[in-house]
Amino acid sequence: MTMFEAILLTIITASTPLLIGAIGQLVCERSGVLNLGMEGMMIMGAACGFAAAILSGNSYVGVLAAILAGMAMSLIFAILTLGLAANQVASGLALSIFGLGLSGVIGAPFVGAKRDQMAKLDLPVLTDIPVIGKALFGQDPFVYASFALVIGVWWFLARTKAGLVVRACGENHASAHALGYPVLKIRLLAILFGGGCAGLAGAYLSLVYTPFWSPGMTAGRGWIALAIVVFASWRPWRVLAGAYLFGGITILQLHAQGAGVKIPSQFMAALPYLVTILVLVIIMSRRGGQQTAPASLGTPFVPDR
Amino acid sequence: MQINRRQILQGATALAGTATIGQPAFAQANPLQVGFIYVGPVGDFGWSTMHDVGRKRLEEVMGVAVKTTAVEAVAANDMERVATQLARQGHRLIFTTSFSFFQPTMRVAPTLPNVFFESATGTQTAPNVSLYNARFYEGRYVQGVIAARKSKTKTIGYIASFPVPEVVHAINTVMRGAWSIDPSMKIRVVWVNAWFNPGREADAARALIDQGCDVICAHTDSPAPLQLANERGVFGFGQASDMTRFAPKAHLTSSVNNWGDYYVERAKAVIAGTWKPGDVWGGLSSGMFRLAPFTNMSPEEVSEAERVRDAIATGRLHPFDGPITRADGTVAVPAGGRATDDQIRAMNYLYRGIDVALPS
Repeated sequence: MTMFEAILLTIITASTPLLIGAIGQLVCERSGVLNLGMEGMMIMGAACGFAAAILSGNSYVGVLAAILAGMAMSLIFAILTLGLAANQVASGLALSIFGLGLSGVIGAPFVGAKRDQMAKLDLPVLTDIPVIGKALFGQDPFVYASFALVIGVWWFLARTKAGLVVRACGENHASAHALGYPVLKIRLLAILFGGGCAGLAGAYLSLVYTPFWSPGMTAGRGWIALAIVVFASWRPWRVLAGAYLFGGITILQLHAQGAGVKIPSQFMAALPYLVTILVLVIIMSRRGGQQTAPASLGTPFVPDR
Repeated sequence: MQINRRQILQGATALAGTATIGQPAFAQANPLQVGFIYVGPVGDFGWSTMHDVGRKRLEEVMGVAVKTTAVEAVAANDMERVATQLARQGHRLIFTTSFSFFQPTMRVAPTLPNVFFESATGTQTAPNVSLYNARFYEGRYVQGVIAARKSKTKTIGYIASFPVPEVVHAINTVMRGAWSIDPSMKIRVVWVNAWFNPGREADAARALIDQGCDVICAHTDSPAPLQLANERGVFGFGQASDMTRFAPKAHLTSSVNNWGDYYVERAKAVIAGTWKPGDVWGGLSSGMFRLAPFTNMSPEEVSEAERVRDAIATGRLHPFDGPITRADGTVAVPAGGRATDDQIRAMNYLYRGIDVALPS
């Protein structure tokens, strides 16, 4: 395996959880809901996914449990913000804190439990193609799922009527309501989708990335996924670019250190964030300061009768 | 009893300092209340886990004479508040169990003169602050010896947390041990800027292995690097607790921390009224840590490792004997000399021959 191939494989592993989390969050935000509970939903996915996989002995049961756990968490958020029209920022932060705590309780009996990593695909001829073979055809199912999600979300938002309705809810919920669309129901589905993706990303962490459970193991990846959505200015393809940029810089800086490149490691660790700021500045200046976020993002909607 | 940082936070704000964390107020007078502040989650399966094992040992030995409270996953900048809160609830002995808690401990201790603090590592004591730590570098030397025997690529990969003296002198000692077997040994170091971030620790291990390292030393708290070494077919060492089961094919040995005996001793001193600020730095001989059974090694390799371990424990071999030359070529300790404990604890340079950038 060449060095290039090795780095590429590591970048894919590091980027996948960010990509899965961010693409779910994107749909949620395009419907006009800002769910800062990402970190909490993700870690609940990691805890429940690992627990279910240990108890059942089957990784796919774990994955399913993780998705359901993420959705259950997001349902709490939906009840607060849609049902009770509570402040989305506060509810989201509360969900993050709640998830971190609850996952610790759920995961407690599984600390120190050990599982083998989920099997990777191995297509006999294709994985033997030099350089790209392993990267393209030898990944675990999550990687393919992440790309499928990006394509699916892009197609849904840009090419279907339902996607247009979701976007309408995000841009102007009053108009969408006036046109007769059930804004709250649509947002509920978007929130659930975001929660499911977050749970899936969490499952990736505890079943593939580092196959064990440990409290706080998401270590801020939920927040990074949120940042990537902003970085991407709410476009699916840019989410893909953002996730891989974050993953790529993280891995490259580790390699640079190992190779003895004399740049302070703190600077390299901060690099992805610096790049985010830079990209945001560029995007904003090219648009002349015009808003890129969905116009109704973060505003509660109370249907009038 | 275990509570986490957020619960104590809620207690602090909701009850404005009058909170008693889950225990009736009348119980405060009799048993000695002992607080523990952990930098990571209790379930990190490493550093904080082992401090909690020590706490449980304290409860087991002292029975009703003590009542303990643990607060986990506390950030360094939040430690003063947590300590103050514990003191208000009547805790008279507080263990602040991280390298990064020393400065906050020194700041908060003068404001709470009736509380005895025990800081795991530090550079100075105070009237109510003791220092305690184990000479983990002794285990690092043995790791270096083993690594030099096991490595085919002659390159050790070291996953470092922060460039603090504790980590810097550990890197030096690993190489000292490795060079004692094979002077051509090399090391690559990745700083992950975290004590606990399993994902990044694993990524760092991946990067090091991809760059040709085939023995991985971790100076972080999770089993992720060792687990990854197992997956990739190279060797590694466990950190803080016996991590054999995470890596049956890769695990060579672990440094296993044991704080319980010290905690018992200090709690007894407080109860007897004989507590004095001290500075304990226990080595292999003290039982503050031990090396887990050697695995995946040939009988010859095992006996060599045991020989080195015992030589260090009995004082026949000292990892910081001179000559010690800094990376910039200046002499730190001349031949025939030996670095003092203070010099070891303040070590902010790598040895000559270690071609690694040290973040300032």
